[in-house]
Amino acid sequence: MSIAVADPRADSGLDLHAPIARTNPVAKLAASTVIALGLLISVDVVTAGVALALEALALPWCGVRPRALLRRGVIVVLGAVPAGVATAVFGEDSGSVLAALGPVSITSGSLLAGAAITLRIFAIGLPGVVLLSTTDPTDLADALAQVARLPARFTLAALASLRLFGLMAAEWRSLSLARRARGIGDSGPLGALRTALGQVFALLVLAIRRATVLATTMESRGFGSRRERTWARESRLHWRDGLLVAGALALTVLAVAAGVRAGTWNPVLS
Amino acid sequence: MSTTRNDTDPLASPTGSSTELTEPSPTTSGRTVAVAVAVLAAIVGVAVYVVGLPDSPTMFGTPLAELTLPVALVIGLGGLWTAGGLVAARRSWRVVDIVVASVLGVAGGLLFAVWNANYETIKLPFAGFPPAAALLVGVWLLPGVLGGLVIRKPGAAVYTELVAAVVSALIGSQWGFSVVWYGLLEGMGPEVVLAVLLYRRFGLPTAVLAGIGAGAVVGVLDTLLYYPEFSSAWKLAYGGFAMVSGAVIAGVGSWALTRALAATGALAPLASGRTAARV
Amino acid sequence: MPTRPVALRARGWGWRHAGRRAWALRGVDLDVAPGERVLLLGPSGAGKSTLLAACAGLLGPPTRTLTDGVHEHENGGQSVGELTLDGRPAALARVRDRVVAGQLSAATGLLLQDPDAQTVLARCGDDVAFGLENHAVPRHEIWPRVDEALSLVGFRQGRDHPTARLSGGERQRLALAGVLALRPGLLLLDEPTAMLDPDGVDLLRRSVSDVVEATGATLVVVEHRVAAWVDLVDRVVVLEAGGGVIADGPPADVLHRHGAALAARGVWVPAHLPAAPARRRSATAPALLSTQGLDVARPGSRQPAASDVDLQLHGGRAVAVTGPNGAGKSTLAHVVAGLVPPLHGGLVAHEPLARGLGPAPHRWKARDLAARIGTVFQEPQHQFVATTVRDELAVGPHRQRVGETELNARVDELLERLRLGHLARANPFTLSGGEQRRLSVATALATRPGLLVLDEPTFGQDSRTWAELVALLAELLEAGTGVLAVTHDRALVSALADDELVLAPSRRREPAGVS
Repeated sequence: MSIAVADPRADSGLDLHAPIARTNPVAKLAASTVIALGLLISVDVVTAGVALALEALALPWCGVRPRALLRRGVIVVLGAVPAGVATAVFGEDSGSVLAALGPVSITSGSLLAGAAITLRIFAIGLPGVVLLSTTDPTDLADALAQVARLPARFTLAALASLRLFGLMAAEWRSLSLARRARGIGDSGPLGALRTALGQVFALLVLAIRRATVLATTMESRGFGSRRERTWARESRLHWRDGLLVAGALALTVLAVAAGVRAGTWNPVLS
Repeated sequence: MSTTRNDTDPLASPTGSSTELTEPSPTTSGRTVAVAVAVLAAIVGVAVYVVGLPDSPTMFGTPLAELTLPVALVIGLGGLWTAGGLVAARRSWRVVDIVVASVLGVAGGLLFAVWNANYETIKLPFAGFPPAAALLVGVWLLPGVLGGLVIRKPGAAVYTELVAAVVSALIGSQWGFSVVWYGLLEGMGPEVVLAVLLYRRFGLPTAVLAGIGAGAVVGVLDTLLYYPEFSSAWKLAYGGFAMVSGAVIAGVGSWALTRALAATGALAPLASGRTAARV
Repeated sequence: MPTRPVALRARGWGWRHAGRRAWALRGVDLDVAPGERVLLLGPSGAGKSTLLAACAGLLGPPTRTLTDGVHEHENGGQSVGELTLDGRPAALARVRDRVVAGQLSAATGLLLQDPDAQTVLARCGDDVAFGLENHAVPRHEIWPRVDEALSLVGFRQGRDHPTARLSGGERQRLALAGVLALRPGLLLLDEPTAMLDPDGVDLLRRSVSDVVEATGATLVVVEHRVAAWVDLVDRVVVLEAGGGVIADGPPADVLHRHGAALAARGVWVPAHLPAAPARRRSATAPALLSTQGLDVARPGSRQPAASDVDLQLHGGRAVAVTGPNGAGKSTLAHVVAGLVPPLHGGLVAHEPLARGLGPAPHRWKARDLAARIGTVFQEPQHQFVATTVRDELAVGPHRQRVGETELNARVDELLERLRLGHLARANPFTLSGGEQRRLSVATALATRPGLLVLDEPTFGQDSRTWAELVALLAELLEAGTGVLAVTHDRALVSALADDELVLAPSRRREPAGVS
């Protein structure tokens, strides 16, 4: 739950002085968006594979050590592998049949499609994970408000809420213990589901309660009025931010070119 | 270096204060403009539908002509939305509105993270009839409708859904950052519905309609981007299932959740927690 | 530190919340001179927090005026009369920050009770700078003022220290620094120590004392605990629910004349502390649970929170577990209550408690556990699982398949005994603090457990609830229930405990007899 909210400084698996880790968060967002948009257009093994390979080349400069990458990338893996498997088994069949079991069959075509889907999900998901794991949430909010010029009221309130929720982990544990103490929660899967939903609801109530007090605090310190504010931490763009975005663009172009060259590129729009 | 905001003592003059006051109701000319916009958009929409779009440019593998009805609807609804936004008494957001909407958004983002991680597995039973997988999309539409019902201010649905999408993108998912754009559009679905109702109705029918609106958006986006190879019948089925899912999970679900939250008194500082009668 | 103290003045001021028929306050007449220090007392619900919020300008300016001089506000509330700071309406104070000698000074600063809800950002320095950023103070002025505020409150950790790792008292200090950075002329403290342990209370109290000495700002404190503040303030003002000021004068005077009345309403007046009930110790005290060389750790951790604990719990006897923060008291309570498995060492539940289930409570099924050991958590809201008070009480017995009539009888008895009858159909979350505490104890009792484990039961309670709780526990002890209470509250220990177990990090512990 606290993956995004964790303090990058506290994580020993991250090197925050690496060149790419030091870029402005808005540049990181732009880079991962460029890659995502570029790769979403087509589903093919070559494009996704080349993109993934190029990303792997850039990894040493990103400041995420392998173990940290493994830990944080697990969500992407959870999505990528089943999707690939499902496509291979249930997807359109073409080419030679490799295995068959009743109505479902795995053909070379569907296997390729499955591999393409998996690679694409990795190629899109991993840059996001890598770039953002070295970003401090406060720096991200500062960058969004100062560089991307999003309304400060909303970005800061969102940041404060994110932090507030991060602290709710202790409350969650207490809620779980309390339910055991009340004698509920361990009577079969349906009962456990109901108890879990009730627990989620209780957490939501506590979070909203705390949020209203937080709002009063922020308001009492002058937050919320429309007038200009200053920033204690400056967020600015450097040339290395432009370099990052240009690099992401180059990566996407190269991958797409490789796909076109190999003839496997099949775009969603024509 | 000293800074002075203005020369006169700021405490003396009451004008130019940045406190949130209720803005006055729109004037007659404002209303006229709004009605004009709505009527114009309706005319353009009908015209597009009657004349039809040309065949030749293809988009996402389908000829443009097949998109005539959706485009006409979008234009018509867009006009209604703008009109609604112009006419509704504009209430600006207080700090408590922003913070609570953010918290609901973060909660939604966490919900998305859990749902995303399990989505591929949950989708498996629908492998036989893929369009039916659209019955699951309601979960992604819940924060937007919930935000709209709880905060009751213009932009609440969009903001809450957007925050949820951003948080889920930060946590990481197989769709990367594209979910943010999805979130923005998914939030617009319920926002349009609420705007058309002039931000005055927040009961169960409104919630269901808002859910349907969100479902329609997802239906269109998904069939265009993720399932272009479906036949037209399947695309329609997908859209239909998406709207049902939106109506039930996002619509009824958000309405029930809002009522349950209001019953605990947690929403007291907000518009949705206030009852009319004095107890 | 240049601050201009602000004068506060109220004339016939009153406020009514949206959706309520009764006025929270009405006809308040108050004059606070610049630099004066005032303690505001009154029963819960007397509108003290509302008054502070109004002074801080948080209730918003009036949007229109009704016929009888009542003003309506945007948030639905209504006000009457006037409330001014230095002659200008308080409702507009928040947005009218003055420029004093070229450096920004805000009219008011407000400190609330919940430490966790007052930290806005993840790093301490950033949190303090937040207020300055909002007021458009130029960057080169921000950080010197942040450092100044932090040193003024005596904050030890650096600017980059993560706020998530602060204790409650340190957090309140940080919040105070955040308020001070704006150099408010009027410092408003709304029950700032209510959610702090005794160490935290000390910490904050010293900070506030240093601050008012250094800045000379006007101070208005709302508190239940008089003892901590009576030496700091020049004046005590007592408010009445739905009314105005009923007493106003030097502390010794007011407390002498109104002390008893205030104590009856729940204020902790030093001379009128609630008495401990007399207790008959029963002859038999069956052994319920014992531990030997027990190590406990938080779930998921391998590091012991408390080690080598030897404990004996008997029916009809109370054991208090005390010790500083971080000594593992709550973890120990959770392990004894069977909610968390022990790390090492022996914990045995004896037959009078286990009633045929085996000696390890953490292995029992939840519904069986609830019938044998009842647990009351520090935060009552964590225990609520139903939508009405009545259903809440019925949950436990229902899980045990108690018959309909028996269940209703138990619920009615508990509602009666804990004076919750009129709230039977209310949603548990809407109850006041004291009512929630009573409800959480009632739910633990509904299943007729042989042992009751309580985690900080008197935390943040006013003196009336404290007295009721202690009386209830004494009754339970007389009836033969065993009690284990984790607490900071010395008064509770001396009122109830037969034995005391003092936990300290990495030292062998033995229970010591008390009284």
